[in-house]
Amino acid sequence: MSADEFDPAIERLFARTPSMPDAPLFTAQVEQRLQKGSSLRAVALGLAGVIGGVVAVSELLTVNIAGEGVVAGDALGEGMRSASVNAQTAVQSGLDQFGLGTLELGSMNGMQLFWIVAGALIAVAAAGVVRLSQEV
Amino acid sequence: MTQPLVDRHDVELAALAAAGGRREFGELVRRHGSAVRGLLRRMGAQPSLADDIAQDAFIQAFERCAEFRGEGTFAAWVKRIAARLYIKRIAKEARYVAEIENDEASAAPDPAGLVDLDEALKALSEPERLCVSLCHGAGMAHSEIATALNLPLGTVKSHVKRGLDKLRARLQPEPAQTLGRTQHVG
Repeated sequence: MSADEFDPAIERLFARTPSMPDAPLFTAQVEQRLQKGSSLRAVALGLAGVIGGVVAVSELLTVNIAGEGVVAGDALGEGMRSASVNAQTAVQSGLDQFGLGTLELGSMNGMQLFWIVAGALIAVAAAGVVRLSQEV
Repeated sequence: MTQPLVDRHDVELAALAAAGGRREFGELVRRHGSAVRGLLRRMGAQPSLADDIAQDAFIQAFERCAEFRGEGTFAAWVKRIAARLYIKRIAKEARYVAEIENDEASAAPDPAGLVDLDEALKALSEPERLCVSLCHGAGMAHSEIATALNLPLGTVKSHVKRGLDKLRARLQPEPAQTLGRTQHVG
């Protein structure tokens, strides 16, 4: 701003806050939007966490521990297989409690898991693109 | 005992808001909402559009609160966010490229002579009003305005100068009641 443009009186006029009778309503609307955004974010994060958890657990349960020759020792292999079966049973009973008993984790093949993970990644990427488009 | 929100400084509230404090941010909205809405209206936005953009600006400010370092005032920071959002909006409509000659405003003189800033701004063309408000209301430099509006720097300076000349002329009739009163502050 050049010196001849600087006008203290005009500066002061611009600095004055106009009186808005509906100011409390405006504040409430912003707070409401903040609350809504926060809830949506929590739901999205929760959903992503559940999907990730389910995929991770199912991946863990479908690993063929003894057959790959990765684990040295039959006893250790047997123990892990036993733990895996126990965990699968526990998860399956948990799913039964939530009415998701028909979701057979052990029966998921690699392709199904691939599409689940791909779907989740696409959803995350889409959310990122939407967010970026809002900011740009 | 914790300090009431109304007693806390903007910078402190912004820091708490950056950590997710919605109540603290609500206090900032309460303090500065009208100033941001007022600026957008002075820039030429219709009241409903001004309110929508002001809301968007505050939401964006909440999400970017960690970026606010307290170097300027919080109000000025949000005003700049709001101004840029408004520029983006009108750029889509290509409204600001209107020639001044085709866009001369014709605010009727106030018979009572009690001209306030908002009334006086109506005497400016849309580009003049926008440039003057961005410069004096949002605190943006001419070069920033030129970049934001995609206009040559000289054009922006011309809009600001002509706009200020018109404002002074409009505000001149009653210096004792408008400008004069504010000058007695010091």
